[in-house]
Amino acid sequence: MNILEEFFLKVYVPIKFFGIDISITNLVVWMFAATVGVFVVLFLLSRNMKILPNKRQTFVEFIYYFIDKSIIGLAIGRGGEKWMPFLGTIFIFIFANNIIGLIPHSYTPTSNPIVPATLAIVVFFTIHVTNIKRNGITGYLRSFVPRGVPIWMLPLVIPIEIISTIAKPFSLLVRLTANMLAGHIVILVLISLILLFKSYLIAIPVLPFTVIIYIFELFVAGLQAYIFTILSAVYIGEAIHPRH
Amino acid sequence: MDAHGFALLSAGLAIGLAGIGTGIGVGFLVGKSVEGIARQPEASGAIQGVMLIGIGFTEAIALYALVISFLLIFTTG
Repeated sequence: MNILEEFFLKVYVPIKFFGIDISITNLVVWMFAATVGVFVVLFLLSRNMKILPNKRQTFVEFIYYFIDKSIIGLAIGRGGEKWMPFLGTIFIFIFANNIIGLIPHSYTPTSNPIVPATLAIVVFFTIHVTNIKRNGITGYLRSFVPRGVPIWMLPLVIPIEIISTIAKPFSLLVRLTANMLAGHIVILVLISLILLFKSYLIAIPVLPFTVIIYIFELFVAGLQAYIFTILSAVYIGEAIHPRH
Repeated sequence: MDAHGFALLSAGLAIGLAGIGTGIGVGFLVGKSVEGIARQPEASGAIQGVMLIGIGFTEAIALYALVISFLLIFTTG
């Protein structure tokens, strides 16, 4: 019995486009489901907006307020308003994809490295293009040279700065993927204990514990979306207001 | 013990040792944050935000070890 079988891709509709494999897999189906679901929910909730919000509108405004205050306000600060669409999209997309994986026997799109990798690459290029646009090419190169470091240390410090720049998107990718993968594997292993011991008695301690882990996973799904978004916001903030 | 056995052993050791370090780290982090909030309850929002970012960074170390464990299990043997 392979515990990772749930995380393998199953091809539903094989499509080849100029030698590039863009088949419809279970990942794609569940990602579409998450995206369409979140679009429908937010569209229905935010229809005919009023100045005095009713209950539906309050919910949407709460999401907006949360992203605006506790992500952008905390990490970017001044001049962060125009990043709202980008960071809001990342937050809601990751959150929807994390949540949809908690439906039993579904596929978590963010537990496959390719989805977080795409998002991390987008964030990586956003940071660097913003940095070049805001600070010019000299200011951009200056951001690799910390101020107050003696000249003879620079051959050591500059490679470290470059490595840390490359490690940023990589750590974003690994953090999100591994969190999603690990949480779902824990649930799978706990449930598999019943099948492994072939006894109903083992279900008595296992099932309540699984429910607790499942509720914890709901929390983790939101937390990881928050952490991915706020770290992107911190990196963008560093690019907008360079510290050195 | 063959190569795959050693790989399984080291996979377990990798995630176990990383768990020790990360557990201590997250414990310190949350403990100090609670101290901070207890001293200054009006700053709890900012402290919680920074705490969650810190937990994200700390926890990532254990998750790197998890990735290494998976690589050890599935690429050898």
